[in-house]
Amino acid sequence: MTFQIILLVALLLASAAAILAKDLLKSAIALAVASLLLEIIFFQMGAPYAGVFEISVVAGLITVLFMLTIALTKQGDDIRESKTVKIIFPLFFIVFALIDFLVMRGILARIPALEAAAETGTFGDVLWKERSFDLVGQVAVILAGVFAVLALFRKRDHHD
Amino acid sequence: MINEWVVYLLFAAGMFFLGLYCLLTMRNLIKLFIGIEIIGKGVSLVLLSTGWARRSIYLAQSLVVTYIVIEVSLVATALAVIINLYRANQSLDIRKLTRLKG
Amino acid sequence: MIFLYIGLPLAVAAVLPLVGKASKRVLPDFLSNAVLLGLLVYATTGARALLAQGPIVQQVRWLGEAVNIRIALDGFSLFMLMTIQLVSLCVGLYSINYMEHYGAKANYYALLLVMVAGMNGLVLSQDLFSVYIFLEVAAVASYALVAYGLGAEELEASFKYLMLSVVASAAVLVAIAILYGMTGALGFDAVADGLRLLDANAVVGVAAALFLMGFGLKAALIPFHAWLPDAHPSAPAPISAILSGLLIKVSGVYAIARIFFHVLGMTPALSQVLMWLATVSIVVAAFLALGQTDMKRMLAYSSISQVGYVVLGIGLGTPLGVAGGLFHLLNHAIAKSLLFFTSGSVQQATGTRNLDEMGGLAKKMPWTAGTNLVGSLSIAGVPPLGGFWSKLIIIMALIQSGEWTLAVIAVLASVLTLWYYLILQRKAFFGKLAERWTMVKEAPFWMTAASVILALLVVGVGLWFAVVFSSWVQPAADALAKGF
Repeated sequence: MTFQIILLVALLLASAAAILAKDLLKSAIALAVASLLLEIIFFQMGAPYAGVFEISVVAGLITVLFMLTIALTKQGDDIRESKTVKIIFPLFFIVFALIDFLVMRGILARIPALEAAAETGTFGDVLWKERSFDLVGQVAVILAGVFAVLALFRKRDHHD
Repeated sequence: MINEWVVYLLFAAGMFFLGLYCLLTMRNLIKLFIGIEIIGKGVSLVLLSTGWARRSIYLAQSLVVTYIVIEVSLVATALAVIINLYRANQSLDIRKLTRLKG
Repeated sequence: MIFLYIGLPLAVAAVLPLVGKASKRVLPDFLSNAVLLGLLVYATTGARALLAQGPIVQQVRWLGEAVNIRIALDGFSLFMLMTIQLVSLCVGLYSINYMEHYGAKANYYALLLVMVAGMNGLVLSQDLFSVYIFLEVAAVASYALVAYGLGAEELEASFKYLMLSVVASAAVLVAIAILYGMTGALGFDAVADGLRLLDANAVVGVAAALFLMGFGLKAALIPFHAWLPDAHPSAPAPISAILSGLLIKVSGVYAIARIFFHVLGMTPALSQVLMWLATVSIVVAAFLALGQTDMKRMLAYSSISQVGYVVLGIGLGTPLGVAGGLFHLLNHAIAKSLLFFTSGSVQQATGTRNLDEMGGLAKKMPWTAGTNLVGSLSIAGVPPLGGFWSKLIIIMALIQSGEWTLAVIAVLASVLTLWYYLILQRKAFFGKLAERWTMVKEAPFWMTAASVILALLVVGVGLWFAVVFSSWVQPAADALAKGF
């Protein structure tokens, strides 16, 4: 568990870096690092498929999309984030972490004991046979995304 | 198992807080969306660790895979909106988005 | 084959861009409206006969082999399906003329059909995670549709909507994960059974709060409403109509009702929270609507207020209250789409949405003005139109269960509703015609036709309310109440 906790702390730090970094490019890289850490956590939990997806799609594809957007919008004015936001951040975070810890400890006592039956079959069986409806949903959401991007980048020859 | 599940939930809540903090305080549109991404990572951590705690890791993995697919299509749409906004306003500053008030 | 409701719009949406290459306008118009019409006919005739034997759970077959796609149809989902198909068809018809100058019609219809498929999927799925997926399908399509005009205002509205809506979806998914952790299952029935065996009130409370926040944001209940008055007016008129008429109800109200009644179980505390949220929405949004000068913005605030009535009825939880809430959902879906259609016609004819600049348009646009009047009066609750009966039923249900305060508030807010709709009528359609509008013409054929169809439905539902109520609304309310 210690190793897990180290990973989780690193994940939080990478996310915080993604938010607080001044340069957007650095933010995007910190986000990719957070993805990598999440992927290692997934592997540790015995979820290689989710881990591979996380690394190839989130750390890879989404980071590329972010970089592309940053490059395309580079000529904009320099937006200065307010300084106080960064100064009070640790304070807020410590307060939140305390509350979080207390709430979770409170909840821990209230969670009833759960018996868990070990799963049979393979990942492929579960995804293709048990959750086939999700695949329809995936097709639908991909269609939605593709049409959304096509619509937003269409040529505006007819628009007034 | 439950103890460890709660540890994961604790950190996932931390990610949620980071994302919300970013949404509430930052001014750059891309930064705001990075906040959303961090919330998304927290959510996938919750999903997978829940499945892990229930010892149904395959099911949890298939949920996370679906979730990632949804996230990609959401990211593509959102970034397309952001690029268009930049073209319209020549700026990524949230403070310049003030056309709609009242 | 109830899977058609999801499969058919998706399949047609997938080929539409190719069709659009061959024929820019006619074929996409025809194809998408034909799909919506076909589904509507199926919902009103075929599926109803199927349902006579009780709730259906369908297993889809693919190449002769059973695939594990299980979708379920009961009275409640059939009622929602019918409403979705009805309003979408009118939106499709209206778009034939209205979306002409936006360009890329095939792409527009493809997004519209994906959104309809998403809503149908949400209504038919019987598994928490599928609810989340289809929520996102409809939402992603709606972000693009809100921004479809690509003007700065549309993009801004779409961005704000996206930001808040994503947080809502995240809250919903975390709640689903919590329930999954508690029970190890995702299906509605399995989770409900699992929760009955467990003593986990604290955890269920957390999940309920997250659901309430997530779906409350989707349904734009005050205090989660901030995005709606931006997103709905900025979108193209048919999209405003489908967002206000359907999306907030399907991804907000339907999901709340389904999950709270069939999965978590409606506790008195939950019922109180829902009712008070609804009452606050009704009153605050009505006052905010009163101060608007932008026609579509006024309608958007009115949507928040009227969805409050729907949630008030459903939150009350008595059979009569639920039936009244659902009936109001139908009436509001029809009437609010109609109002957004007419506001779109006015905007296209005059180029403005500002009520102060309008006036006397009834002389130039008689059909638009007439249908708008019908819709306004129905939502304001004037007899004998549909909205009157549903509000009456909700208020009767409130009195029946001794909620006098809420009943009085509901009646007073209804007077307020009438007031701002009269302001809208007076400023836009009556009074003296300003000189600059002398050249204004009536809206094109399909736009008028879609408004007239909806206006006839408003009147029809009002006159034959007993028939509509007993044949559509009552089965839905029964199916909903059967859970607990």
